[in-house]
Amino acid sequence: MSRALQWIAIVVVAALALLPFLPGAVDAYYFSFLFFVFLYAVMAQSWNLVAGYGGQISLGSHAFFGLGAYTTAILWSGNYLWGSLYDAYPGIYYFDPVTMLLGGLVAALAAVLIGLPLLSKLHGDYFALGTLGFGEIVKVLFVNGGDFTGGAFGIVAPASSFDTLRPHYWVGLGLMVGTALAIRALMRSRYGLALIAVRDDEMAASANGIDILKVKVAAFAGSAFIAGVAGSLYTYYIFHVGPDSVFHLDWMLLPLMMTVVGGTGTLLGPILGALVMYAVFDLARIVVPDYHPVISGLTIILAMLFLPKGLTRLGVMRRLKSA
Amino acid sequence: MANRLLEVSDLEVAYGDVGALWGVSLHVDPGTIVAIVGANGAGKTTLLRTVSGLLKPKAGDIRLAGDSLVGKAPQEIARMGIAHVPEGRGLFRQMTVLENLELGAFQPKARSRTRELLDKAYTLFPRLKERAHQKAGSLSGGEQQMLAIARATMSEPSLLILDEPSLGLSPLVVQQMFALIQTLHRQGVTILLVEQNIHQALKVAGYAFVLQTGSLAMHGTGAELLADPEIQKAYMGVLE
Amino acid sequence: MFNLPPPDILFQLSLNGALGGAMYGVAAVGLSLIFGTMRLIFLAQGAMIILAAYFVRALFYGLGIDPFLSLLIVVPVGLGVGWLIYQGLFRKAAAEEDRNVSLLIAVGLMFLVQNLMTVVWGGNTAGVVTSYTASGIELFGVRTSFTRSMGFLIALAGTGLVMLFLRKTIVGKAVRAASEDMDSAMLMGISPHRVNAIAFAIGIALAGAAGVAVATTFPFNPFAGFIFSLKALVALALGGIGNVTGALAGGILLGLIEAYVQYFISGGWTNAIAYGVFLLVLMFKPEGLFSRPYKKA
Repeated sequence: MSRALQWIAIVVVAALALLPFLPGAVDAYYFSFLFFVFLYAVMAQSWNLVAGYGGQISLGSHAFFGLGAYTTAILWSGNYLWGSLYDAYPGIYYFDPVTMLLGGLVAALAAVLIGLPLLSKLHGDYFALGTLGFGEIVKVLFVNGGDFTGGAFGIVAPASSFDTLRPHYWVGLGLMVGTALAIRALMRSRYGLALIAVRDDEMAASANGIDILKVKVAAFAGSAFIAGVAGSLYTYYIFHVGPDSVFHLDWMLLPLMMTVVGGTGTLLGPILGALVMYAVFDLARIVVPDYHPVISGLTIILAMLFLPKGLTRLGVMRRLKSA
Repeated sequence: MANRLLEVSDLEVAYGDVGALWGVSLHVDPGTIVAIVGANGAGKTTLLRTVSGLLKPKAGDIRLAGDSLVGKAPQEIARMGIAHVPEGRGLFRQMTVLENLELGAFQPKARSRTRELLDKAYTLFPRLKERAHQKAGSLSGGEQQMLAIARATMSEPSLLILDEPSLGLSPLVVQQMFALIQTLHRQGVTILLVEQNIHQALKVAGYAFVLQTGSLAMHGTGAELLADPEIQKAYMGVLE
Repeated sequence: MFNLPPPDILFQLSLNGALGGAMYGVAAVGLSLIFGTMRLIFLAQGAMIILAAYFVRALFYGLGIDPFLSLLIVVPVGLGVGWLIYQGLFRKAAAEEDRNVSLLIAVGLMFLVQNLMTVVWGGNTAGVVTSYTASGIELFGVRTSFTRSMGFLIALAGTGLVMLFLRKTIVGKAVRAASEDMDSAMLMGISPHRVNAIAFAIGIALAGAAGVAVATTFPFNPFAGFIFSLKALVALALGGIGNVTGALAGGILLGLIEAYVQYFISGGWTNAIAYGVFLLVLMFKPEGLFSRPYKKA
């Protein structure tokens, strides 16, 4: 990234961080809009890590998102972790980083368990199909999970402490920036080089002593971890976690779409894609409520026909990068 | 140069880390066997794949009987008269021998004469007739290579390109393969041959080009190159 | 663990499962063709089937055309639509060989079709009720639904025709060749765009035929298609990706699995078990259950 782009990024992030202090901002429409852009950008980064940088097209992001969401809902509603803290400071202690981390870890663990057999056996499309099947299985498991998962209805979290969207907004912004920085650091490390090497030529990578399976599973688990944390954040926002909401395929399809529209295998692509696509969807929802999914479908098709390489590879962005 | 069948000039191809080409020029005259020889990774396969359109050149020109092939799709180039037997043979292994041959005559001008061409191919390769309804993948290595060549001749190409036809075959089958190449040559087929089996290749070739790490190192008649001390030192030593 | 039911019930179960599964099978045959030449998982296939079902319904209630007779309209229209979909939407992405882009266009098309159907016909469940919808016929001594049996016949006939095309015509052989090795096919003078377009045309025509079967047997809604796509994918994997008769057999097998799981375990687990089988097959027998072991030299 060029120096100019770095400065722009720092200024934008700072402005976004200060936005909640603007009078009236919290109640404005764009506030929740931005929260969702952050959430989707995190999900898009998650998909980009395994598919864009890793070259393994996963169609199971929604499963990891849902696992993170359910982990959070179960821990939270059951007061399994420091329940007394919730009770003592309901207004202050709201987001629990440990719970969010566990949400991510549960998703990552599931990714390792399913990733080891899938990635050692399946390549390319077969892997994509396998992850799609995995997602559906996880969903059915949660529907049939009895009291533990709340069955088809799901779990309702204690809602008493909710009074403002500000913490969600900051946590979302933090996650988006944190994920981007972490992936940036990762891709500059030895591991990142290995990941790219495996994506570009498995045989050559293997000949150079790279443990292909380890690299792939690690990327898959890392991607799942990010998705799980995003799912956790969503639970804090939505309170009611159900199989049809958090395991919805949209949690896989939309981030995938946003990444491709923004530019796969780029750091800014997922963020840009999330912003643009969510804006299009939301605008369509407001302006032509009856037709908005039609518009969304059309937008994807048009974007793919005319912008197949993504927004970050447009001329303007290129000039900014080289400036 | 009106009598040149294939004319490659200043060809540059970027292809990953290995097999790039830097300004290669060569030519094939009608009715000849031309060999391209060189070590592994010298760019021989890259050159052939560029001629048949599977790879796009960065610069330079390729002409077949005067018409430029650059920018044309592989299927168009095939219809213009180039039949390319790729490295690894490129057979449709799940399909029968007969189906493979029929597909060799897929282009419109050959398709209407499939029967006749099939008879011709069977005369040259009687073994294939016996195995007509067997899956291509079930044939032995030598038979597969025969099938690949027979399939390529089904389109009655003006230029037959063979990439490593002796690869993975036993010495006896290699002999048969080169005998077959000479038979085709006597029947008037123009052949561009890439080989690692340099000794054999130079023996059958009227003219040969030596590729070295992506550029042309030497060229001359097969006999000249066979006698060239440098060639003997660089390539033949390891083979004897 | 559980008692085996009497043989006639077991047979009834199997028959119903097989008849229903044939519909997944015919969807899978279409997916198999498209995947074969383009390496594209055409996720919009289910949506196209439901679109065809709505079309059949409109022909029936609007013009009084019998649903089974409408095959004569739906299949040719499907051929044309499939051709247009390829030329208009996928040709460019196929030329650039960017599979992500193709996949996303399929997803976009699925959204578009689903929601267009919602706008035009509403989101509620619809169906086609004819004079014979409730009637049954006797098959091997067991009573079964007439429309399901017809659906099964349509699936068999559709797959049979596709097989004939692929095995007996030179263009069909070119499609098979391209599915096996596109580079070699091009060297034969076969145009990728042509075989891709043919695969799409046949795939969507099969979706049309499946639409007739769905319209006459099941109630449907605009969003039912995605599950259908997933089931077709499972059928495809069971039968072996790229194996056309295997795809039909895979669909029938999936129908059987669903029927048994529903009877012996519970309806809530059918999907999990179907996808579980899917994963196991992908991992341990990726060439499908019905292909003879084929040694790769």
